[in-house]
Amino acid sequence: MSQSLLATASFPYCPGCGHTVIAKALAWAVESIGYHPLDVIVVSDIGCCGLIDGLLNCHTIHGLHGRSVSLAQGVVMGMQTSDKKVIVVLGDGGATIGLQHLIMAARYNVEMTVILHNNLVYGMTGGQKSGLSPCCSTDIDDDYSDAVPPMDVCGLVELAGAAYIRRMYIDDDIESGLAEAIAVNGFALVEIIENCPSHGIRKVRELHGLEHKPIRVLKADRPAFRSKRRQTCSLLDSLEEMEKTEESELTGTVEVVIAGSAGEGVQTAAQLVGSAALRCGLHVAKKGEYPVTVAAGFSIAYLTLSTTPIHFQNIFNPDVALITSQDGMDKVIGLISEKTLVIREESLTFSRTGNEIRLPLRRLAGAKGSAFASLLFWCLKYQIIPLRAIQTVIEGHHHAEKLKLTLKMVGELLSEQAF
Amino acid sequence: MMRNQQVLLTDGSRVLIESLAMAGGDVFIGYPITPANLLYGYGQQRFPEFFPAPDEISALQWCCGYSAVGKLPVTATSFPGFALMLESLNMAFMMELSMIIILVQRLGPSTGSATVGSQGDLLLLQGAISGGYPLPVFCPADFQDCWELGRLAVEAAIRLRTPVVLLTSKEMMMTERSLSRSTLPIFETTEHSPQIHASLNSYPFTPDLTPPFAPVGNPHYPVRLNASTHDSSGLIRNSTPEAMKNTERLRDKIVMRMNEYACFDHDVDERSRTLLVTFGISHGAVRKAVEDLRDRKIYVDRLTMKTMLPIPWSVLEMMDRYSHVFVIEENITGTLKQIIFGSRKLPHVHSIGRIGRMIAPDEICAKVVSCLNPC
Repeated sequence: MSQSLLATASFPYCPGCGHTVIAKALAWAVESIGYHPLDVIVVSDIGCCGLIDGLLNCHTIHGLHGRSVSLAQGVVMGMQTSDKKVIVVLGDGGATIGLQHLIMAARYNVEMTVILHNNLVYGMTGGQKSGLSPCCSTDIDDDYSDAVPPMDVCGLVELAGAAYIRRMYIDDDIESGLAEAIAVNGFALVEIIENCPSHGIRKVRELHGLEHKPIRVLKADRPAFRSKRRQTCSLLDSLEEMEKTEESELTGTVEVVIAGSAGEGVQTAAQLVGSAALRCGLHVAKKGEYPVTVAAGFSIAYLTLSTTPIHFQNIFNPDVALITSQDGMDKVIGLISEKTLVIREESLTFSRTGNEIRLPLRRLAGAKGSAFASLLFWCLKYQIIPLRAIQTVIEGHHHAEKLKLTLKMVGELLSEQAF
Repeated sequence: MMRNQQVLLTDGSRVLIESLAMAGGDVFIGYPITPANLLYGYGQQRFPEFFPAPDEISALQWCCGYSAVGKLPVTATSFPGFALMLESLNMAFMMELSMIIILVQRLGPSTGSATVGSQGDLLLLQGAISGGYPLPVFCPADFQDCWELGRLAVEAAIRLRTPVVLLTSKEMMMTERSLSRSTLPIFETTEHSPQIHASLNSYPFTPDLTPPFAPVGNPHYPVRLNASTHDSSGLIRNSTPEAMKNTERLRDKIVMRMNEYACFDHDVDERSRTLLVTFGISHGAVRKAVEDLRDRKIYVDRLTMKTMLPIPWSVLEMMDRYSHVFVIEENITGTLKQIIFGSRKLPHVHSIGRIGRMIAPDEICAKVVSCLNPC
């Protein structure tokens, strides 16, 4: 294969288009640094400049409008090598729709060279204004041309952390400018202000009346981003495997609802008792329900324990409801039927007679311990889970000391009741 | 080798991510969204590489970049994020890039309720690729499926060179259940190894219609990937005959080979002329309903679909054997019913659906009984 980056001397652009000049300059720059074409990956955007793929002997990816920088970032992060060069070709339209990707790639300082073909106009679709078009740069003007300035992409990527930023005009020495950018070890952007022979500013000499100032900034002190590959462990190995060591008095299936407030340990309590149930050879299913907020509103745990496999869990009519707060009660009150045993915080207002136990859960165990206390009370009183299984699970928990206090308190409560 | 009978308490997210990592997933790239947030956390822990993307468009673009260089990316999202991914998903399909997208359904439309489950995104997936091209979709019905379909999805994505969607729901990903590890078979990693070939074309025609994969950046010949219509060279073409042939191949490679990945669970009672069809999180309720109905001497069969798209021919042919078919899904528009039977109202086809909570076995039994015995 030829060492030349350009595969053809025939270009698909309009006569007089700056894209032809840039394509030739890119080839010169790559070759002058000494890259073999197979060490170069050109990622192109949608628009006239995106027609470059067929001109090149290197690897090419032709993606979506505005997403070429993001796609190129994925390529760079995936390769984990610095001996390839990724070059992005996009226009001012692509920079407008994909601005966040430019900011993000600069922020990461991903090693790539972005060549921003800024012909100040959407050329392929008929000359509409882009976010980079200055006032009066296009044939199609709008009512807001004077009020809305063009975006300064060079300034934005510099703020985001780019290693190299350059703004040039199409009649500058862009070969040298591109070569300097491609040699940078980090994120480099070269904005080239060019004419569009079909729309907007058609003559190169007219470009110099614009307010776009040439820029050259090199920040070599920041290392280029390199992704890291690491060794990881099985997610299943990190869970404690439970073996049956205890016996439960449970026969069949019991469905329990634990209803409290977010941040008060409702889900943790259900997990702990579920784990203890596994030590008794029971099958367990535990579902959580809560609003999108993390530490406000209700928190409901639906816990099913069974001597047979649980293929379906959705508790519509629970056997037991453990209610520790008003939030929880408001949420589950519609599920409670005559068959439901209710164990609840005594301070809650709830009109019901029979099949109910009121306990000073919040006073004795505190808000954060009340759900666990209610579950322990039920498990131990009705011999669903033996004490030893619960003690074993508590022992391995990172809040073991607090949980032991709750267990002690529940034991005393049960003793008082028995007495 | 027999494992001991020790049991874990785990959620489906953990099982699915472990399966995908074991099967050959190289990197997890995601943007956090409920109810896919457990997947994000486990992905961060388990994959050799992890990247927090700034949005779902970037997430899928980064996935495409990774896939282009020969690594298998995995991402997870829910409808709002999936909507943002759609254009990039089409790009991945067009470029024939392998990747896994886990779509965790939640109650819609729009942002809906982030913490309420649903089964409302199936029709979206059927029409996800412009032109109606088939996107492989698998849907686990239990934790064993999370394990097995995770492996199968990776294999399909690599062998067919395509993005694959694992469709699931909040209840499957976040509910915790007891699980014996001995029920999860050990399997081999699917290698995503480059296949360097003699052709200088990026998409040569091969007997199995899937071009051999060579990574971008390889030292042997230039690889060209293209989101626009292209021929076997990978270069942009208009509607030339060769470009159209290449585009038609994108359909044919999936349709022709997806029978290799047809998964379903057909529970048959020889006395039955009634079929209950379901998928995903409604499977448990249907299974229970079938048991209850059989206890009442009402003989019904159950079909739990796991390969959702393209629907296996064997599943479609199966429908002709039944006098009554009930399609049970957690939505009120009957999306699976539409995919199997179309929009026509057929007297022997019935929908059972609801939104806002899971369908109960009693509701299924009541509807089946009332339809079979209208008096």
